Amino acid sequence: MIADDVERAALAVEGLEGGYADSAVLHGVTLDVRPAEIFAILGKNGMGKTTLLKTMMGLLPARRGRVEVLGADVSGWAPYRITRLGVSYVPQEKSIFQDLSVEENLRLALRELSEFTDRLEAVARSFPILKARRGQRAGTLSGGEQKMLLIGRALLTRPRLVLVDEISEGLQPAVVTRLQEVLTDERRARGLAIVLVEQNVDFALALADRYAVLKVGTVVETGRTADAGVRERVERHLAL
Amino acid sequence: MVSSARRFVLGAALLAASPLVLGEYAQQILSQAFFFAIAAITVDLLWGYTGILTFGQSAFFGVGVYTVALALAYYVEGALGTAAVMLGAMVAAALIGAAVGWLSFFDRASPIYVAIVTLALPVVFTQVILSGGAYTGSSSGLPIPVPAFSIMQWYWISGGLLLLVALVSSVLVSSDTGRLLVAIRENEERCRYLGLRTSRLKIRLMAACSAVAALAGSGYVLFASVAAHSYGDFVFGTELVVWTALGGRGTLVGPILGTVGVNYVSAVLGGNLPFVWLLFVGFAFVLIVVYLPQGLVPAIAGALSRVSVGSARARATTLQVRPAAAGSGARRRNATPGEEQGTPVLELRKVSKRYGSLQVLDGVSLQARRGEVVGIVGPNGAGKTTLLRCIADGRERSSGDILVNGRPIAGLPPQECVALGVSRKFQTPNVFDALSVLDCLRVARAYRASTSLWRRSHTVELPEPALHAVQVSGLLSLLDEPAGHLSHGAKQALELAMVLALEPTVLLLDEPTAGLTREERAAIGGVLTELAQSHRLSILLIEHDLDFVREISTRLVVLHMGKVLADGPLAEVAESEVIRTIYVGGATRP
Repeated sequence: MIADDVERAALAVEGLEGGYADSAVLHGVTLDVRPAEIFAILGKNGMGKTTLLKTMMGLLPARRGRVEVLGADVSGWAPYRITRLGVSYVPQEKSIFQDLSVEENLRLALRELSEFTDRLEAVARSFPILKARRGQRAGTLSGGEQKMLLIGRALLTRPRLVLVDEISEGLQPAVVTRLQEVLTDERRARGLAIVLVEQNVDFALALADRYAVLKVGTVVETGRTADAGVRERVERHLAL
Repeated sequence: MVSSARRFVLGAALLAASPLVLGEYAQQILSQAFFFAIAAITVDLLWGYTGILTFGQSAFFGVGVYTVALALAYYVEGALGTAAVMLGAMVAAALIGAAVGWLSFFDRASPIYVAIVTLALPVVFTQVILSGGAYTGSSSGLPIPVPAFSIMQWYWISGGLLLLVALVSSVLVSSDTGRLLVAIRENEERCRYLGLRTSRLKIRLMAACSAVAALAGSGYVLFASVAAHSYGDFVFGTELVVWTALGGRGTLVGPILGTVGVNYVSAVLGGNLPFVWLLFVGFAFVLIVVYLPQGLVPAIAGALSRVSVGSARARATTLQVRPAAAGSGARRRNATPGEEQGTPVLELRKVSKRYGSLQVLDGVSLQARRGEVVGIVGPNGAGKTTLLRCIADGRERSSGDILVNGRPIAGLPPQECVALGVSRKFQTPNVFDALSVLDCLRVARAYRASTSLWRRSHTVELPEPALHAVQVSGLLSLLDEPAGHLSHGAKQALELAMVLALEPTVLLLDEPTAGLTREERAAIGGVLTELAQSHRLSILLIEHDLDFVREISTRLVVLHMGKVLADGPLAEVAESEVIRTIYVGGATRP
């Protein structure tokens, strides 16, 4: 575990094992994410990326290993407690409240509503439709718009760590570019640490500082995205 | 089948031998419980397997009770007459059941409808009986002359009937039809879009289950010798659901154990601890609901399977996928007239769609021919998914005409659009989580052949394109895996294969490669190109990945704010100004 002397890691995972009732998916994952770092988890389908995020968030039970979030050992914690440390999780499936309005969906993210209007303004700068269509029933938004709502809701809480699963999927390229800017800004302005699970290698490598490749439930490679030949190495892992 | 036959023999042996150790009182309690358990099995078939929550099975039990009671009290006597009346009760219950199903399972009914309708049914039934005066015995019950069987004979009759019903049910749920029932429970919408007439199947099941509950009721009243309205009331209907939940729904053994267990324990405790026993039962119920939400039987089975893993799995892996007989796809192609090269297989004329005040599609006109891959691009919220929805479900659009192979789809539900040759893949992967990959594929093929009520097929025959999709996506090694355990990308591939198994002429794909790696995308792209070129499919494809669209599309349609902004050959449209604004910046809907 790499715990900085000055700052504690935003996320540290050690020997994490887990999966579903009758199938083990993670076989000892170890990684760490520093504050204000953007970290990409790459890998083919079925290698355990989503399972890793869900296990870190306490949505799936871990069989062995440790998860430390923002300096607290959260192994065995319920998801709501982890969230209260300042963590947002954006799942791949569009888990919005279909029958509530866009605004109600956003309000639910905050425990203290006094700052809601200001924060909505800030989020609406990135995704104008969230303000323009605040009264619309969220279930009637298109697939991509629901994704924007999901991301907007996660950022509204001003988290210190976000875990996002396939964030670029189903978004028009212009919005993906925008999203890239928003995440970098959040990181710069507030020291937000971001963990991305992505299939879109270009998007992930352009945005992240470091990356890890997951294969059959273990990390087979980590490194800095700025290093030479990263793209080729990652692509090779994904092709095999 | 083998295991259900073994269980049947075991059950029969137990039934034959148990009077040696059970006293008369116990036999009497158990006989009553056995009749109730038959009704509980029908609840399990409807709720546990098919997802239809019903509180009304008591009413059908009551129909059995009172048909026989009234007939014996006033009109008929003798064994033959009694048998005829029991049969009549079953027919009457089946008709009422079919009517209830028809009321509750219309195409867009929410699952809550059936719960409400079946909740009302016992209430109506009780009121009818109570207002019948001396004729029905009202609240004091109706005593009847009954056949003179000994207690042990009743024990064997009721137990034998229960075993028989359990055996037939177990054959049904492990048959191909049983698999469809689970598919309906898991995802009825997907079933409809696979061309299955789910409402019809549910109505038939409801009728059959009602008849069986009436059989149990008519047997019970002969045993009890008095008809009481409480055997058709809402409390009894709810108890059947509770017993099923306690034992474990979706197991068949669960409702039997739940019913027999609760009734036996209640009777024994009720004798020894007259008032406190209800508290015990209530407490046990709460504990089970909290700690074993699936019920007792799944919990026990889960514990046992952890001890001995293997046999079931080993058998399953011998299943295989086979290519469908040549020409099965061509048959339908020949059957649909007027589709020579060049005439459009899909035509939209001024199609509009509004959700309340929100205009999502605004006069969309377009055509697609055989062998074409039409890429549909546009910003988020442009109406792309709505467009596909309107083509796959004839009741969706607000105005305009849609023709598939020259035939208007106006008013046709999804399952009938499938019959015209339209298949739709959803934006978020839409498969049957509880079924294995292989079973998902089988359900997708179900609409092509009649489904057996007793046999379970061990192979699935797929048309070549579907088989190809299964192969390139690596699903072949995951055939036994429950679809719910698959990764996002594997689910996407599975749904594509399911949709291709329908042998469509018009294929609607909503972001089919979202969440796939570059290699997987290339493989799927290859499948699609092949489909268009060799199988002459017309494909409509929504995609944000412009490179992917460029690789496989022959034509490009740009949708923006519900209107067609551009429609033309790939080369022209892909370089246009419209595309650039959408992809480089700006063009989201305000």
